[in-house]
Amino acid sequence: MSQNIPVRQGVKRLRHMASGVAGGWNQVGTQVAFYAKTIAETRTAFSRYKKEMLRLVAQMSLGTGALAVIGGTVVIVGFLTLSTGAVIAVQGYNQLSGIGVEAMTGFISAYVNVRIISPAVAGIGLAATIGAGTTAQLGAMRIAEEIDALEVMAVRSVAYLASTRVVAGVVVVIPLYCVAVLCAFLAARFGTTGIYGQSTGVYDHYFNTFLNATDLIWSFFTVLIVAVAVMLVHTFYGFTASGGPAGVGEAVGHAVRTSLIVLVFVVLAISLSVYGQSGNFNLSG
Amino acid sequence: MVSSDTVTKPLRAIGEFFAMALDTFVLMFKPPFAWREFLLQSWFVARVSIFPTLLLTIPFTVLVVFTLNILLVEFGAADFSGTGAATASVTQIGPVVTVLVVAGTGATAMCADLGARTIREELDVLRVMGVNPIHRLVVPRVLAATVVAASLVSLVTIVGMAGSFVFAVFVQHVTPGAFVAGLTLLTGLPDVVLGLVKGALFGMAAGLIACYKGISVGGGPQGVGNAVNETVVYSFMALFVINIVATAVFYTSLQ
Repeated sequence: MSQNIPVRQGVKRLRHMASGVAGGWNQVGTQVAFYAKTIAETRTAFSRYKKEMLRLVAQMSLGTGALAVIGGTVVIVGFLTLSTGAVIAVQGYNQLSGIGVEAMTGFISAYVNVRIISPAVAGIGLAATIGAGTTAQLGAMRIAEEIDALEVMAVRSVAYLASTRVVAGVVVVIPLYCVAVLCAFLAARFGTTGIYGQSTGVYDHYFNTFLNATDLIWSFFTVLIVAVAVMLVHTFYGFTASGGPAGVGEAVGHAVRTSLIVLVFVVLAISLSVYGQSGNFNLSG
Repeated sequence: MVSSDTVTKPLRAIGEFFAMALDTFVLMFKPPFAWREFLLQSWFVARVSIFPTLLLTIPFTVLVVFTLNILLVEFGAADFSGTGAATASVTQIGPVVTVLVVAGTGATAMCADLGARTIREELDVLRVMGVNPIHRLVVPRVLAATVVAASLVSLVTIVGMAGSFVFAVFVQHVTPGAFVAGLTLLTGLPDVVLGLVKGALFGMAAGLIACYKGISVGGGPQGVGNAVNETVVYSFMALFVINIVATAVFYTSLQ
């Protein structure tokens, strides 16, 4: 009898673990089904809910609440990329002058900013500001049973709430990306030439020589894919929030965590497949 | 016409934030210290952060090492790929990934938890019972975030270096010996200390912002959601600024 109890407990624990694994697996299935539905209903969103979409674009680009006061999403993303560009200046210049080639800081800016920093930081900015805001908004609607009310009124809730937000996020990320790239370039240039005192001619020469238009287009394309992925994740977590006010907060946290991971994997996958082994990079012409 | 309220509100919020931060630092040294809450919070932050940390670190370092190696191979200096990997993961990726994780997971969870308590008026109950919520709730949380962030930096650095080793050696065919030999060429103890200090500063800033936003929540479920959203945005901004200041101070002091 006394032997039986640990065994029974073990079985119970095993069953608990198994249901945890199955629950996680089901969660993946639910998410994929939601994403497919959201993408499929984009057409409905375009044909029926154009007005809502425009309203969302305006709201997302300017921001709401306390974030609007400090200038909205564009300013926040610009600020983030300004500081990363400045880090390139500080770290790149110092590290390169350690081996005597600080003239190449312009090249580092043209290379690293385009390939890694701008897409990643624009995506992070999108996830932190617009994405998290979307989850908070949709989560609050779910908790207040507004989404159920929409469904009762025969409004297609996924098309009206999720698809429109994904489209609006992709539209808003275009100016965001432009701001991000420009700010990163300007900050790196100002840090290197203005603060560390490199001559602007040297910086511009290496910068312009190595700035590759094809890379820029790929980086832009990466950002668009990242935007779709991030917005899908955030709408899903908002749409399925539960558990009162704390539940909304938790949903926002989960959504940010998941979308950051998805974002890095998307950027990695695209840069591995685009640049490949050869790297699409020619130093000696 | 902008009313004076919309202009003074952000300023007031900044003032309140610094007042709370000051209170926290003062109360940190006032006994009794809430050990139990501190341990629970440390475990909580570590538990929600470790898995995302690993998932973020590996692709991030692979991305950076891949990009750097393209460059180094072109220069004919592929043997120095270890140097690039060590510099990148110790001084930048380690702290920055920790920022993203601590702000994105630890701070948001903390803010959601405190926000829900504020909405349910639990903090007011504490005040009525003569317990200072900053002493009882905020101090252990801020310290827990600091300690966990500093330890996460070391985890991120080690995982990042292991990941870049595997990627450089098995995918990009760098000699393993040369990779390991290059690790300590540019990166030494000062850089490791810089990484740890950055991590601790990030953790503290994120913890303070999360707690401030959590205890000043108003307006129901949407309010909690917005507070979490603002926590993410403000902590990212604060952390990026700390990153550049810490890096600049470090390199200036080296010269």
